[in-house]
Amino acid sequence: MTTRHSFPAWARIAGPGALLAALACLHPWLEQTMARHMGLELPALVLAGWLAGAYAGPGLARALAPWNANGLPGLLFAACVSGFWMLPAALDVAVLHPAVGTAKVASLVAAGLLLQASWSAAGIVIQAFFVLNWFWMTLGAGLIYQEAPQQLCSVYLADEQLHAGRAVAAWAVVGLAMWLWHVVRAAIRSDASPQDALPPRPLPAGPG
Amino acid sequence: MARGWRTGVATLTVAVLALCAFAGVTHGFAAVTSDGVRRAALAGTPRALPPIGLVDAAGRAFSLADYGQPSQPATFVALVYVRCQTICLTTAAGQSWLQGEIQARGLGDRVRLLTLSFDPASDTPAVLADHARRLGADPALWRFATVRDGADLKPMLDLFDVVVLPDGLGGYAHNGALFLVGEDGRLSRAYDIDRPDVALADYLRRAGLL
Repeated sequence: MTTRHSFPAWARIAGPGALLAALACLHPWLEQTMARHMGLELPALVLAGWLAGAYAGPGLARALAPWNANGLPGLLFAACVSGFWMLPAALDVAVLHPAVGTAKVASLVAAGLLLQASWSAAGIVIQAFFVLNWFWMTLGAGLIYQEAPQQLCSVYLADEQLHAGRAVAAWAVVGLAMWLWHVVRAAIRSDASPQDALPPRPLPAGPG
Repeated sequence: MARGWRTGVATLTVAVLALCAFAGVTHGFAAVTSDGVRRAALAGTPRALPPIGLVDAAGRAFSLADYGQPSQPATFVALVYVRCQTICLTTAAGQSWLQGEIQARGLGDRVRLLTLSFDPASDTPAVLADHARRLGADPALWRFATVRDGADLKPMLDLFDVVVLPDGLGGYAHNGALFLVGEDGRLSRAYDIDRPDVALADYLRRAGLL
């Protein structure tokens, strides 16, 4: 982690910036099918935000800390944004109206950024609350997309819903698996060094 | 203490913004699909029919606004294109079923059907007439038409919230619905394309005929 912050500033911006630029160039292709839109574009935008947060370093979390105790508002924002763009009607307006499409990009990048900045402050209990709720919401949405008898989106055919639903359900499983792996790894590490088994330490006190 | 207070404000702000965004896109939590949102929006705020120049299968020119006069027969409207092999077949089957019910129930002077094509380049009056003949449409009940001027296509699609996208195979991907222009001359209801029975039952109930 510490080596990352020794990158020059341009390199820290270039990572997420290059990803965003690639997504912007590919966006007609990505939004051509529902599966690519939901399965690739939306998660990649969150990833770009997460990377930006990671490269920004702990200063960002410190700056947000007075308004973001235990990462609660940040994680709530990320959960709401994630749920919002699973609504078929929201996906439609994002494709049909460029202004909403821009808001989609901004909200998902912000969600990734806040997710990253809130993650360590949240601690395992609050993380579990958000991850498990997000998992069930996303898995449910994925299953509904696969099973829905009617056309859900105006801009995508009903046939595409099966693939989009599979992609969404797969992300739910991947997200849960990643978090469980993170929990197991932390548990093993705290077994190895008992002083780390204490509850998550608060962030260094910021202003306020 | 200040930190807890600020976090509370931030959490509340996020929650309120999220509620507003969800309410906005779902028409006040009425629906999650665009078709459902349109149904709720039409029922809440019926739309006037603008003067859009149309031509029917017999080559007669008329205006969509002709259907916008109060105290006319109610009209079930659907948007299609003739070469369509997918949902337009369902649409046509639904309107055929409605025609049969209208005839069987003696509602010919109260309910009419209108099929609008959004592919004026292919669906000339002659093509529409042939299409109507194949469907066994009764010209007194069921009219087929398309726009006279291609520039009127977008206003027509916007009025009905129908999204038409070229599918890359020479056809179109599009959504659909069965619309009702009520006796008040306003576009006031939308129904699922495969549920003409629900559409008719709703009309009969509201007209006091059921």
